Amino acid sequence: MVLLQPDPFLNELTSMFEHSTEKGTVWVTLKRSSLKSKVQRNKMAAAGEPLEYRCLIRATNGKKTISTSVGPKDHQRFQASYATILKAHMTSLKKRERKDKKKVPGADKKEGGSKKPKRA
Amino acid sequence: MVYITSWDEFVERSAQLFRADPDSTRYVMKYRHCDGKLVLKVTDNKECLKFKTDQAQDAKKMEKLNNIFFTLMSRGPDADVSEVAGKEQTEAQPGKKGRGRKQ
Repeated sequence: MVLLQPDPFLNELTSMFEHSTEKGTVWVTLKRSSLKSKVQRNKMAAAGEPLEYRCLIRATNGKKTISTSVGPKDHQRFQASYATILKAHMTSLKKRERKDKKKVPGADKKEGGSKKPKRA
Repeated sequence: MVYITSWDEFVERSAQLFRADPDSTRYVMKYRHCDGKLVLKVTDNKECLKFKTDQAQDAKKMEKLNNIFFTLMSRGPDADVSEVAGKEQTEAQPGKKGRGRKQ
């Protein structure tokens, strides 16, 4: 499990999406974590220190896993970049069809023109 | 494994699940480009909610949900979500252009 900084994480995530277009899956998991062991947490709680929570983000393509941790200060920026990456790559989802827009049946090329009366 | 059909219900219940147990709730997204499918899962290891789709419009809704989760997770479960009002504030400025009189 590779723990990265948010920016390299985003780069790696982009390349994961790019590599799994033909086949493969990308999983992204979001979880809240303080990144401290239980012992440390208990100590901090006992000492009255406020625990700082961060958002742990993990991504995998089945073979490789990368992760990063985002705090409240950088989460706005991270989520904007993350949204951009997702929008750019989730292109294979179906567009919404409200009415079945039947494409103009005039796609048939002028077949009537083939019959040219032969005039002597 | 419960698949929720309504998006709004999924969002509502996921937020509830998170607020009830912020330390064990996680949000998983699985995307398969070759199948054109997106599956979202929110679980607290006791209960599990899933949502699957192949619609591009749901990807946009999912982005909003991502924002909600980011806010909740990094700021704490009591954070004011308000559907991430930040975006709406920037769009709320109507472009009052002067009525161009071409003379």
